[in-house]
Amino acid sequence: MNHLFKTRLHAATFVLIPACIGINYLGKLFASVLKLPLWLDSIGTCIGGVLGGPIIGAVCGAANNLIFGFTTGDSITLIYALTSLGIGAAVGIMARLGHMEKLSGAILTAVVAGLTAVVISTPLNVIFWGGATGNVWGDLVFGWSQSAGLPVLLGSFLDELVVDVPDKLITVLIVFAIMKGLPKKLTSLYDVNDEVEILD
Amino acid sequence: MAFIEVKGLKYKYPHTSKLVLDGIDFEADKGQFIGIIGENQAGKSTLCQAFAGLVPTMFRGAYGGKVMIDGVEASKVPIAVLCQKVGLVFQNPFNQLSGAKDTVFEEIAFGLQNLGIPREEIGKRVEKALKLLDIIKYKDRNPFDLSGGQIQRVAIASILAMEPEVLVLDEPTSQLDPQGSEDVFQVVEKLAKTGITIIMVEQKMEKLAAYCDKILLLHRGRQVAYDVPERIFSRGDLRELGVEPPVYTQVSKSLSVHRKEGEELIYPVTLKQIQKQKDQFPLTLSGRVRQPNNEKQEKDIFSIKDLGFYYIPGAPVIENLTLTLDSRPTAVIGQNGAGKTTLVKLLKGLLKPKTGTVLLEEEDISGRTVAQLAKRVGYVFQNPDDQIFKNQVLEEVMVGPLNIGMSRKEGEQRAREALEMVGLLHAANENPYDLDLSERKMVAIASVVAMDPKVLILDEPTIAQDARGREVLGQLIRTMTEKGKFVLAILHDMDFVARYFERVIVMAGGKVISDGPGEEVFYEKDTLTKARLEPPHITRLCELLGYEGTFLTTEDIRE
Amino acid sequence: MKSISLYVDKDSYLTRLHPFAKMVYILAAISVPFIGGALWMYGLFLVISLGFLISGGILKKVFPLIAFSFTILITIFLIHGLFNKENETLLFRIGALAFYREGLLYASRIGLNILNMLLAFAAFVLTTKPADLVDDLEQMGFSPRFGYMITSVFQIIPQMMGTMNTILDAQRSRGMETEGSLITRAKAFIPLISPVVSSSLINTRERAIALEVRGFGSKTKKTFLREHRLSGGDKGFMFLMALLIAASVVWRIVYGIH
Repeated sequence: MNHLFKTRLHAATFVLIPACIGINYLGKLFASVLKLPLWLDSIGTCIGGVLGGPIIGAVCGAANNLIFGFTTGDSITLIYALTSLGIGAAVGIMARLGHMEKLSGAILTAVVAGLTAVVISTPLNVIFWGGATGNVWGDLVFGWSQSAGLPVLLGSFLDELVVDVPDKLITVLIVFAIMKGLPKKLTSLYDVNDEVEILD
Repeated sequence: MAFIEVKGLKYKYPHTSKLVLDGIDFEADKGQFIGIIGENQAGKSTLCQAFAGLVPTMFRGAYGGKVMIDGVEASKVPIAVLCQKVGLVFQNPFNQLSGAKDTVFEEIAFGLQNLGIPREEIGKRVEKALKLLDIIKYKDRNPFDLSGGQIQRVAIASILAMEPEVLVLDEPTSQLDPQGSEDVFQVVEKLAKTGITIIMVEQKMEKLAAYCDKILLLHRGRQVAYDVPERIFSRGDLRELGVEPPVYTQVSKSLSVHRKEGEELIYPVTLKQIQKQKDQFPLTLSGRVRQPNNEKQEKDIFSIKDLGFYYIPGAPVIENLTLTLDSRPTAVIGQNGAGKTTLVKLLKGLLKPKTGTVLLEEEDISGRTVAQLAKRVGYVFQNPDDQIFKNQVLEEVMVGPLNIGMSRKEGEQRAREALEMVGLLHAANENPYDLDLSERKMVAIASVVAMDPKVLILDEPTIAQDARGREVLGQLIRTMTEKGKFVLAILHDMDFVARYFERVIVMAGGKVISDGPGEEVFYEKDTLTKARLEPPHITRLCELLGYEGTFLTTEDIRE
Repeated sequence: MKSISLYVDKDSYLTRLHPFAKMVYILAAISVPFIGGALWMYGLFLVISLGFLISGGILKKVFPLIAFSFTILITIFLIHGLFNKENETLLFRIGALAFYREGLLYASRIGLNILNMLLAFAAFVLTTKPADLVDDLEQMGFSPRFGYMITSVFQIIPQMMGTMNTILDAQRSRGMETEGSLITRAKAFIPLISPVVSSSLINTRERAIALEVRGFGSKTKKTFLREHRLSGGDKGFMFLMALLIAASVVWRIVYGIH
């Protein structure tokens, strides 16, 4: 289990993280331009997790929300740094366990990432916005749950669930497709188990 | 012990089976200028990275032998330590910027800050580097707003400020326009005189022949020779090794101008040496015999009338341009900012004219979308990475054919033919990103050729190509022309233009300032000066030797 | 180059205030009402934040930020006004929708909280250059390698947007229809994700080389080009904010929860 959290901290890692954050930004932009009922703002975080492992994934996630929170004035994002951190770490762990090699594993990874997001986000939603998420579909569910008299926590949980699980499913599938296409020259840079082999 | 010693160097990238370096052995003294030549895949870049310790410290893989620099073994010390001895500058200007600094000054200071150099010292060194590279006027500019040539100079300055003893330059001009490369070469020339040891990979052999003390010739990872430029370029097997000797040597060879060193024939490799042996050259040469103008009426492909375009109102990029293009292969030449790319983008419909019309085979294209035009007008982007979408070469080449409604079977057929034409059929199943830049460029060309368009527009196809690549391209242009296609290319390589294009259009300031066959255009001195262009190497050389007549390619040199 | 940072390059006392002092202000603005628990405390900080923004001449730049969180504010008011569990007192009706006092009160507390956070952050974000913030963080001992990571985000995003436009052109050139109805355009977006992402990942390899050869991995202590220390004014300001937080604790102990 030692290699699960092993991380290579060299220049390539510190260049990867900003690229991943940029990718998150683009994903989010797509979702809002196309008015999709998804976030798509964690594609980069997941890539960071798959390439660099759980620690890099977590750093990508947390740094993403902190940076945008502190510079684009979207302070709401800040609170969800914890969620992003969880997603990055979860995807990183699943990838290190070898689940991102096959499509079925990718789907499992997506479910794990989605549930991680739901579990962390729900209490945050309740504390900060009384349970809503700002996503139209999710909030319809929340509105319905409240009118049906369900507890706020459960309502908010459902709200988050209907948004996050499909979102992570699409996100991880995109990531899966992209990873398949990356050249070996690049992926080997992040491989933690390689050592220099001596040829003499 | 020599200053630089490479002994039995071998290297293989991780997860690959082939050695990219296999038994490299040479020595160099302090202050020498060493050139590295060889066709693509010869291992030139990998060798450069071995000097900087990136191979194997960063990339890992399998490594054998050693690289000693001033008594330090490159593979045994951290890169951050080695970088104070060995500086590396590579091809892509943009990727060499740290990507975190807002001004040129801070960009150059970045490395020094990392090394913990005292602040006053940083200020002094950065100023010095700015002056040496003549970029002091950009000091406070954002490096990303500069042109490629300017950025490349910033990159060299950033490395020089770290005061390395060895400067490794890996094709620093391959992605630059002629003005940009000239700027870089001027700097390199200046540096060579400062006593710094320089190792340079370069395709422009004329330059290497002039600068180098010694040249290392590589082929498929193996060392073929390590010798003085005259002996390297006088070899008889260069063609098989994918290397084209300097034009001066080519001309001397066809005129058998040489001296003997024992059994060996040594040809001049620089202009200086040619001048020394001037008495051996014939007094007159007749040059090219002009083909009688075959007056067969070519059908118009494009009719451009009163075309005007601007990105910002009041700053026209193209003004009042009227031009007819027929199916003769045509080259558009001119400095950066002359409006060449804008013109071809207008022909492709990627930009819409602000005034005037563009007719394609008598039909106004303004009502067509780019995608609708794709069937008839193919356009290959300058940077192949902007148009690679798939992770398999064959799939990539099939994208276009499938988009324009070909069946899968037909698409694959066309894709295979196109790959064959660019010599990459063997790589059909590879990931395009695992190929090198010159091959990716060929994939991009194939992916447009496969759509079988009437018009093929190429934007800077020769960039990053070695001698063999240029030949493949030239052949492709000829084949397309024979098939009745119209090839229009933007080019900076005048030797290539002279060899393969029937019609040459010179642009400057958004206007066409000359238009005609190469034989005429390349002898219009005023026009070329106005467009800041130079005629082909041979043309210049023959003028120096005092030959009257027309000389554009080596074939024109006959006694 | 278009920046994603909202920093307004305008010299004022706010831009000169040390980033840390502004961060302490954010901390105070969020924690005081949270600890103190009184609704008027939100009002107090809203007024202070607005004062900052007006005197710094950047009030206009705040509106897009507020518009940003408008949807979530509306949702909160709707859901809680209509369905909150505590709802008892009917306040008004719009058609079939009945709004209750308790829910709306709860919603306004959340709304005030969001607005307060937004404005306090705006005072910071609009007046702080990201590169300077990172430099100051590094001088306080923050890892320069992580600092690099933050600054480079601001250069990488505009670059990626540029790449995206070129790729879009390349796709059109290869016969993919990108003009026309919304659906056509939406469809064109999907194959765009993968090349943009792949090419930016692939560029990281060369960028990493560039960093390595510039001593990025060096263990030596980094030199800073300019030294930026907390001034007397910065310290005074931070002290004042700390006092406010302390006061809110006292308030809470004395008055309990409202």
